[in-house]
Amino acid sequence: MMLLLAQVLSIAALAPLVQGVMKRLRANLQGRPGPSPLQPYRDLAKLLNKEALLPHGVSPMPLVAPGIVLGVAVTFASVLPIVAPNAMGGIVDVIALAFLLGLGRFVLALAALDTRSSFAGMAASREMTFGSLVEPALLLALLGGAALGRGTHLSVLPDVPFGLAGMLAFAAFFLVLLAETARVPVDNQETHYELTMIHEGLVLEYSGWQLAMLQYAGYIRQLCFLVLAAMLLPGGAEGWRHLPWILGLMGAVTVVETLFAKLRLFEVPQLFGTALIFAVASIGLRVLGGLA
Amino acid sequence: MLRSVGVVTMCVVAVLAAAVAAIGFRAHGAEIAAATFQGAVPALALRFAVTPLSAPFCALLAILTTAVALWCMRRGAPGEPLLIALFTAAMLLVLVARSVALFFIAWEAMSLVSAFLVAAHHERRGVRRATFTYLVVAQTGALCVLVALTLLAMAAGDTSFAGIAAHAARLSPGLRDTVFVFALLGFGSKAGLMPLHFWLPRAHPVAPASASAMLSGAMLKVALYGLLVVTLELAAPGPSWWGLALVAIGTVSAVGGVLYALVDHDLKRLLAYHSVENVGIIVIGIGVALLARSAGSSALAGLALVAALFHTINHGLFKALLFLGAGTVNEVEGTVDLERLGGLWGELVWTAPFFLIGCAAITGLPPFNGFASEWLTFQSLVGGLSGGGLTVTFVFVAAIAGLALTGGLAAACFVKVFGVVFLGASRRIDARPAVRERLDASTTGVALLAGLCIVLGVVPMLAVGPLAGVVGKTLGLVVLPPPALPVLPVTLALLPLAGALLCVVMAARRSIRFVPTWTCGSPVSAAAQYTATAFSKPLRTVFAFVLLPERQRRYEMGSSRWLPERISYRTESRYLVDEGARRFAAVILRFARRFRLVQSGSLRMYLAYALAALIVAVGLAR
Repeated sequence: MMLLLAQVLSIAALAPLVQGVMKRLRANLQGRPGPSPLQPYRDLAKLLNKEALLPHGVSPMPLVAPGIVLGVAVTFASVLPIVAPNAMGGIVDVIALAFLLGLGRFVLALAALDTRSSFAGMAASREMTFGSLVEPALLLALLGGAALGRGTHLSVLPDVPFGLAGMLAFAAFFLVLLAETARVPVDNQETHYELTMIHEGLVLEYSGWQLAMLQYAGYIRQLCFLVLAAMLLPGGAEGWRHLPWILGLMGAVTVVETLFAKLRLFEVPQLFGTALIFAVASIGLRVLGGLA
Repeated sequence: MLRSVGVVTMCVVAVLAAAVAAIGFRAHGAEIAAATFQGAVPALALRFAVTPLSAPFCALLAILTTAVALWCMRRGAPGEPLLIALFTAAMLLVLVARSVALFFIAWEAMSLVSAFLVAAHHERRGVRRATFTYLVVAQTGALCVLVALTLLAMAAGDTSFAGIAAHAARLSPGLRDTVFVFALLGFGSKAGLMPLHFWLPRAHPVAPASASAMLSGAMLKVALYGLLVVTLELAAPGPSWWGLALVAIGTVSAVGGVLYALVDHDLKRLLAYHSVENVGIIVIGIGVALLARSAGSSALAGLALVAALFHTINHGLFKALLFLGAGTVNEVEGTVDLERLGGLWGELVWTAPFFLIGCAAITGLPPFNGFASEWLTFQSLVGGLSGGGLTVTFVFVAAIAGLALTGGLAAACFVKVFGVVFLGASRRIDARPAVRERLDASTTGVALLAGLCIVLGVVPMLAVGPLAGVVGKTLGLVVLPPPALPVLPVTLALLPLAGALLCVVMAARRSIRFVPTWTCGSPVSAAAQYTATAFSKPLRTVFAFVLLPERQRRYEMGSSRWLPERISYRTESRYLVDEGARRFAAVILRFARRFRLVQSGSLRMYLAYALAALIVAVGLAR
């Protein structure tokens, strides 16, 4: 139990740093000096001390949504198979995780629609579109990485032998990760152009401590996805052995963001289709290879 | 007066159904409390009995009837409750029928009474057409059911279900498969499985809300009960392709239903399409159960059947809730068109939160009941993924992907529904003062269903325990639910709930300032809100190859050549099934025209035909 608490606390403590490092790295790759890696901490502290504004006449949904989203992110952090045995990971499996992520998305999209802003509505529409298209790929990638005949729990992820099937599952999950963490081929965290933004549009009406909660939840979720992706790579049962992979993945995401342009909105589904094909191929290989 | 009589009758039927359910859950053998009425013809004997399998369906019937009766006390037309009571009684009769004759009589009674419910507003032409479509489908389906049951009875030489079941093991494979196909057509069309679902989205928008709640919440389930009785008892054990076919059909129904729901903007028709989706999810569970049973893995069969039955109960609860909520919206606003609704949160202060619970439950969000049963369905699919050969793996992977996609699309759809109807600002054109809803009987009915959605979601074992008992007795095995299930919903929901509370506390301590929505300086207007059509636009484009959207834009030019005064935009989907039916009908009609020659319309000609037919018949008989 103490170990689990330590896991959650360390993820929560490091998440803004991961965001800061990635932002700095991206800036350097693009030939800019970039902000300090500690900037996300300062931003969060600043926002926490500011008052929150909400549009007139809204329901309680926009009020509670940031808390729910943060709760979802912390639950996500607690189920990752880093410490063993993980009591939470023994209950929450791959399938439940997909439903859990759906909860955060649902609440945030409703809150966005409630603000009466057309930008927020547009972002909600896009978020739900991509969210629904990415869900099959997310589930099948994790199943392909793990579950055949071993149960659906996340704790089996680090033990699975890596091979072609594992590579395909990882490739599928990496594409999912780019979408779920609002990274470049799908979304762009740095932009506020109304026609391109998705995640930034959703939180457009938020400010002060509510915005801080949402951003912090986003950082935690991002780190969780990175950890999960690292688990799909070969390493071993102990969670900390995946640390080099996590650093590598942070670099890889930044390189992708630098090398590629954002896809047109209606080309993004093809990316998810590719992820789905990788994931299905991975499951097919596992079944044919008798790993089931 | 009429209303009170109807509501009291509904309550009586609900109590009866509850009693039957209580007997069924306690039953140890196959049949209990049996009674047979032997007529002059032995083949037409009427046999009543309670079985464990019918118990969950009776329990659902009892709950739904109570909730709908409460709703009917304050809302809806006064004549509706009595008809609904009759309808419920007919469904209850189907559930306790244990002989071919009684089952068919009850089935027909159920279809006919429900047709009267659909035709409640028969003065409108569209309603009459919808009723006609429903009757044609219902009667064709009933015929298929009759063929399936008669084939079984003829093979067994007995019309009681117990007698047929005793003979089931000796059926020839050809006959078994024929029976399955007819049963699938008959029960599947009634349950709304694609592609025989097309009566559902026509009948629901025109039926009163209370009738829709019963049709969608209960009658579709009675049809699934029929399918279960045939496949698990009367014609069991089936070959593995039955299960595989059901998983495939279920997946198509689930994905197809939710896609059409997504682009529909009539709230009740949208909910009808979601019924197609959820029946698909239930049928996936049934399919996995049949497949696992034919492969001999009884643990998986039990799990899958529990998942299917649990989702049956859950869908009944939240779909009735949503239809009753839609009925309330219709009475308050006079429309269920999503483009004209908005901001009802402030007015329907009771219905709105309950409707949100229904939306969350149907989307499968933890900790509501839809989550528990969908999770179980996924578990059974993953359990059957390996060890069944390449075809099984392929179908199951497709089913998992389809189910995941369905979950995501359903979430998108219900964000659209709730966000557009209840949140945001009102889109009303006439400035009518807002009337706050009061807590009365009708809201209590909706509250009852919402409460059950929460209770069964947080403590799923309340339902899974008895259902495991039912499945155990029906299949003759011991069912062990997954050990994580009892604590899973609470585990998932605890921290998000704590986060929500944290926000409330923070807001109380640091106060939130309310300001106008940021619209880049232009005036804040309700017309600038995202509409339902706009919300579903990206998905409409992505799935254009299925939905075949057609859009019409019209510009009305005024004095200027460049600035139009009005732009009207319409988008509609062409329905693949309708398109197919239209082509089929065109071919039939072309052939029919050739035969018009003999249809002179003169009575003497017809008499001559009759005489000729008689002569031919006598000649042949000699």
